[in-house]
Amino acid sequence: MSLSPLGASRSLAAVFLPIKSGGLVDEVCRRIELAVETGLLTSGQRLPNEIELAGALGVSAVTTREALSQLRGQGLIRTVRGRSGGSFIADDALPSPERARARLLDLTRLQISDLGLHWRAIAATCAGVAARRSDAADIASLRGYIRPAAGDGQGATALAWRLSASEFMLEVAAVARSARLAREILRLQADMGTLTLLPFGDPAFCEHIAELSEAVTAAIESHDSGAAEARTRELIQTTTNWLLAEHAAGQAHTPGTTEEEAS
Amino acid sequence: MNGNDAAPATAELRTLVEGIEGRIDDWAAATTRWLNDAGKLSGSAIDKFVRPTVSDMLLAPGSNVTGAGFIASAGLLGPDRSYIAWWQGEDLERVDALANFSPQSMSRYVGAEWFKVPVATRRPHVTGPYIDLLCTDEYVLTFTHPVFRGDAVAGIVGLDVTAQTLERRALPLLRRIGPRAALVSAGGRTIVCAAPDVDAGDVIGPAEGAAATPIGRSFTLLAAAAVA
Repeated sequence: MSLSPLGASRSLAAVFLPIKSGGLVDEVCRRIELAVETGLLTSGQRLPNEIELAGALGVSAVTTREALSQLRGQGLIRTVRGRSGGSFIADDALPSPERARARLLDLTRLQISDLGLHWRAIAATCAGVAARRSDAADIASLRGYIRPAAGDGQGATALAWRLSASEFMLEVAAVARSARLAREILRLQADMGTLTLLPFGDPAFCEHIAELSEAVTAAIESHDSGAAEARTRELIQTTTNWLLAEHAAGQAHTPGTTEEEAS
Repeated sequence: MNGNDAAPATAELRTLVEGIEGRIDDWAAATTRWLNDAGKLSGSAIDKFVRPTVSDMLLAPGSNVTGAGFIASAGLLGPDRSYIAWWQGEDLERVDALANFSPQSMSRYVGAEWFKVPVATRRPHVTGPYIDLLCTDEYVLTFTHPVFRGDAVAGIVGLDVTAQTLERRALPLLRRIGPRAALVSAGGRTIVCAAPDVDAGDVIGPAEGAAATPIGRSFTLLAAAAVA
């Protein structure tokens, strides 16, 4: 008749978790890191000074100073003294495939496939609802995200491909007109982080994703919910499979880890 | 249902929508006056002028507004540079301030319907209901109005009203008008409908013979909705 004692005490415990004092500094850092990861801030770009940044983000100057110093320590920004000085996004601050690869190999196969399942469930539901609610303007904006804007995707960078692929999924959620599902897609994309950069380094993968996105769009256009869901599941599964294969190949080439640990 | 009750309910619905439109008209006029009197403009001067109005709107008891602000046209503060002064929620959270330092991010605002249309037509505009992934991550309607400096469009002022807020305010009125009465946007999308089988965002039309009455500048009241 009552709540399970374990469940109740667990939720109660969460209420009294200490609030991290470093939280604000980390939050400022995370915002800037995210802006760099998604390409909103690019190498060489000048950041606002401490006072401007503090005003803009609604935190104290001490907090921004600490955040900037933390980012400097990570090598994400560099600071130049003097008249034309200031803080700039570092020249090598682009999301790097090497770091993404290291992160992928750090995960277990179980984590990758579970993340893929979660992503697939949310994305397919979005597509099914989008098929019920789409109009001509929605289809036009979806088509705009199938390939990166410049030169029909010819010679587009992995970063540009990834950006348009994440915009495409977000647009599907927007066409579905569900605020909760759209927020969930945003959260999942943040969880995937740089991982999704890896497959877009492979032109055949890019082409395959563009074809699947076209099929998803066609199903949404013809108000076929079943097909929209099926094509979207295929789209997400293609990415998950790529990551799992890369993970397997990467671990096979990292000498000694699994065998030694096993013995 | 009840002819005596439908007329006052319709009038109340009109007051609700025209109240929002009137507020943005007044704000746009005040902003245009300020822009023409102000000398050299800076980001902080804009913040100082815009924030108190936004604060009043967001914190007013029973406020319909979840977010509001000003976005500059390119050129107002410098060549190829825009500026966003937009706040949301009861805590007056500043929206995406980093965008003011990132041209790539700014292009997303400038390309959005709620900026592009009022700037091109020089007329007020309502966008949505749509999922606002730039600011609130909510299902909203955005009311925007161009502001001028001399003859040029200097930018837009705008405010967000969530579909939820409109449901709370308009649903009791629609029920008094009819069991399938609906308020729809210019694009024929449901904003609120008295019938539980029609969701906000569904595209609908009037049932056969049902009246369609304009409400405010761009909405329509359908006496009875039929799923299109």
